[in-house]
Amino acid sequence: MTDAIRLSHLSKRFGDFAAVDDINIAVPKGAFLVLVGPSGCGKSTLLRMLAGLETPSEGEIVFGGRVVSSGQAGLVADPSDRDAGLVFQSYALWPHMSVAGNIEWPLKVAKWSRADRQARVAEVLQLLGIEELSQRYPAEISGGQQQRVAIARTIGPKPGILLFDEPLSNLDAKLRIEMRSELMRIHRATSATSVYVTHDQVEAMTMASHVAVLNKGKVEQFGPPIDLLEKPLTTFVATFLGTPPANLLTVTRQAGELRFGNLVLAAAAQAGQHEKAQLLYRAHDILVGEQKGKPVISAIFDEAAPIAGRTMVTALFEGKRITAMADGYFRAQPGERIPLTFIEPPSAVFAMSGERIGE
Amino acid sequence: MTAKPVRLAHRLFGASFMAFAFPLRHPRKTLLRADTLLPVALLGLVVLLVVAPLIKILLTTLTPDGIDAWFSVLASSLSLNLWWRPLGNTLLLGAGVATGCILVGGFLAWLVVLTDVPARRTLWFLAALPFMIPSFAAALAWGALFRNSRLGGSVGFFEANGYVIPDWLAWGLVPTLIVLIAHYYSLAFTIISAALSSVGADLVEAAQVAGARRSRIFFGIILPVVTPALIAAASLTFAGAVSNFAAPALLGLPVRLQTLSTRLFGMIETGQTERGFVIALLLIAVSAAFLWFGERLVTGRRNFVTITGKGGRTKRFPLGKWRWPLFCLAVVVSLVTTFIPALVLLASSFATQNGALFSNWTAHFWTGEGGTEMAQGQAGIFRNPVLIEALWTTLKLALSVAAVTMILGLALAHAIARNKGTLLATLLAQISFMPVFIPSIAFAAAYIALFGGPIGPLPPLYGTFALLVIAASAHLLPYAVQSGRSVLGQISADIEESAKLTGAGVLRRMGVIILPLAIRGLFAGALLAFVKIVRDLSLVVLLFTSTSPVLSMMAYRYASEGFLQFANAITVVILAVCLVATMLARRLENRVQKWKES
Repeated sequence: MTDAIRLSHLSKRFGDFAAVDDINIAVPKGAFLVLVGPSGCGKSTLLRMLAGLETPSEGEIVFGGRVVSSGQAGLVADPSDRDAGLVFQSYALWPHMSVAGNIEWPLKVAKWSRADRQARVAEVLQLLGIEELSQRYPAEISGGQQQRVAIARTIGPKPGILLFDEPLSNLDAKLRIEMRSELMRIHRATSATSVYVTHDQVEAMTMASHVAVLNKGKVEQFGPPIDLLEKPLTTFVATFLGTPPANLLTVTRQAGELRFGNLVLAAAAQAGQHEKAQLLYRAHDILVGEQKGKPVISAIFDEAAPIAGRTMVTALFEGKRITAMADGYFRAQPGERIPLTFIEPPSAVFAMSGERIGE
Repeated sequence: MTAKPVRLAHRLFGASFMAFAFPLRHPRKTLLRADTLLPVALLGLVVLLVVAPLIKILLTTLTPDGIDAWFSVLASSLSLNLWWRPLGNTLLLGAGVATGCILVGGFLAWLVVLTDVPARRTLWFLAALPFMIPSFAAALAWGALFRNSRLGGSVGFFEANGYVIPDWLAWGLVPTLIVLIAHYYSLAFTIISAALSSVGADLVEAAQVAGARRSRIFFGIILPVVTPALIAAASLTFAGAVSNFAAPALLGLPVRLQTLSTRLFGMIETGQTERGFVIALLLIAVSAAFLWFGERLVTGRRNFVTITGKGGRTKRFPLGKWRWPLFCLAVVVSLVTTFIPALVLLASSFATQNGALFSNWTAHFWTGEGGTEMAQGQAGIFRNPVLIEALWTTLKLALSVAAVTMILGLALAHAIARNKGTLLATLLAQISFMPVFIPSIAFAAAYIALFGGPIGPLPPLYGTFALLVIAASAHLLPYAVQSGRSVLGQISADIEESAKLTGAGVLRRMGVIILPLAIRGLFAGALLAFVKIVRDLSLVVLLFTSTSPVLSMMAYRYASEGFLQFANAITVVILAVCLVATMLARRLENRVQKWKES
């Protein structure tokens, strides 16, 4: 089966600056690909190249076996000719057209017949549950409703590929969760292949069938979300994904052991030939309190936040922030010394340069 | 004229004016409290400045003499010449100017905002220039180039060099139209370019992704979104052309082309005051009707609130091979409308005859002695004691008006903001916006009606310098309130309150916090008010007397008596003053903005 979307050696440079740098990704039809990364990592530029709004400097974009853009030939297929729809972060609703008008216009441009247009407009209005808004104007409806109209407008012409540019970032927290499942429902209902850009790793973990973590224009890691969580290839991925954030402790090799200060944390073999390494500990692998036979440090309590019946505790150890978990609800005075126990071995070992060692 | 001005204000001055003039209703304050005394006093002042003259001029035309005047203007054998023909010409000019301005200004705005034309910033600056130049400058320059022998006297450059200039090109409707378009297109440009800039790139890209081609995007998305701005630009340029006095007076009157404003001037000049007042009221009605009509068109549609895109980015279309040709066209437009008129005026003020603009230069018209063969014995303008007086009067007038405008503007803006939601604030905002609807020459007529005779024990103000200051300040009230507001806008309530919390007293807060923040904005606003007054002719043309001569009026007098070089020389002086003041204002404004960013 041909990939629905394949990017090979895709790059975009603005002058000397590479916004997108040699990206190679492929996803099958029906996939939900999430591009996640901090702001300025190139994810929006990548999405705009997929939409045909930007031309790649190098490499090519292939949709279903057909080259739509390439560094050599430029824009092979116009935005209109790519079978792709884009939902803008700002929604970009045309203010002078009613909700129905906004949804209908792209169909008019695509030369649908009047009867087909009306049927399709009614259909997508119903799919998004906004039938009663059809005669309103964008300025007269709420942000969440505008979001639905923007999605309805994009899926109107039944594109094979749906592109989303941080679509939930302008919504409040509650609405965001609601729209997240709504989006997943629409993704399934349209059986399109979706590409979704976000800086919110929770969205990436909950929605994606495939995640690409981007950093400085490059793909740090690409794969199913669980793989990325369980086997991060770089410290960037390891610390960017997961809630609460994982800890990275710098250790040095001393007499066949990896030591964090004077504390022995692991066998030196785990770090291969490296003199120094970074150990990854999830928050739930560090427990507040002492346990016999496990390495313990004494840290200065900073803050605590209750999460799902347990408490996430942040403490400082030699100036470094460490996130640990406590059972039940835990309180302490800021500045108070609390013991932290490493109850599990490190879940990964990284070189100082950031890449994973071993396995 | 109740709710309408505010909508227009919305167009002109931005959305916040709405909240400003029509805020949510809060519990009303009693009128007797101490902190409402100032606003009440201000209300009395704006009523005296704006409403009283209008009521007085209306009442004057309701006396027996006034009723006669209404009949003779509207329903007598004279009415064809007094009212219908001037009305026809006025409307023709208005419609023509509005159309021309939308085309020229719209083209430039499109080029500068939506395309990848080279040197965009420069073009932007050039397109905004003509409005800074008085319209009589362009009219005089037209005469220096195209004047033909019909009226005798010296002919223009072209005819002197052997080209025959037909009457229709030398005089009347066509040249007036061209000169007014050259003056007002930059107003249209300013409004349309602001609207185009607010069309977010996302809106355009959404249409692109939907598959629309360029022309479809332009006609289907961009044009409909900026329609309100086009209508606003059309009605404002229409109103501007309708109330303009200088161009039709210089280019139309010699061939008896009358517009309502020249008719109004003629009536008052010849002592037919009541008829003049009637025409003034009719002129106000015509101008306000069109502004109101434009407003109705816009507000009748509920779909025009632009949702701006991410970061205010605009989409620029590549022009391809048209890049340089269109750039050249834009440069030619501004050369023809700004630089060539200025150059022609300058050259003509030195040249002995228009046929040879760049040879045989003489400084006679500037500094020559009187009683010679030259110019029928007239001395150069700098030897003319009246000119020196006029220069000082003009500067004094403009400075006084600038000061009054800024103080009044600050006070009004502050009072309106403080009393938000009360009837008082609404009245203040609405009344101070009213002058926008009143052509300045008609406004001057209203001032003659009110101040032409003694009021109670007070002597008549007509003919005094004070009246010029009062009338000009009153006519600038909308501008004053707007700049007062923008100055106050730079000082948020938080800033003052945080200073208050440190325990600083009122004077200290004023001196250390408010004044430093406001001073540049105040200066910039005052300088623009200054320019508006220096280049004004249509307001002073009726209020001017020999005891209060001003430059623009002298230029007009020289021109209508046929001493064109003198008129041109004075106009060059006016241009220079305006230019210097504008540059200063721009620098100050930029500085304010730069400081705001950092």
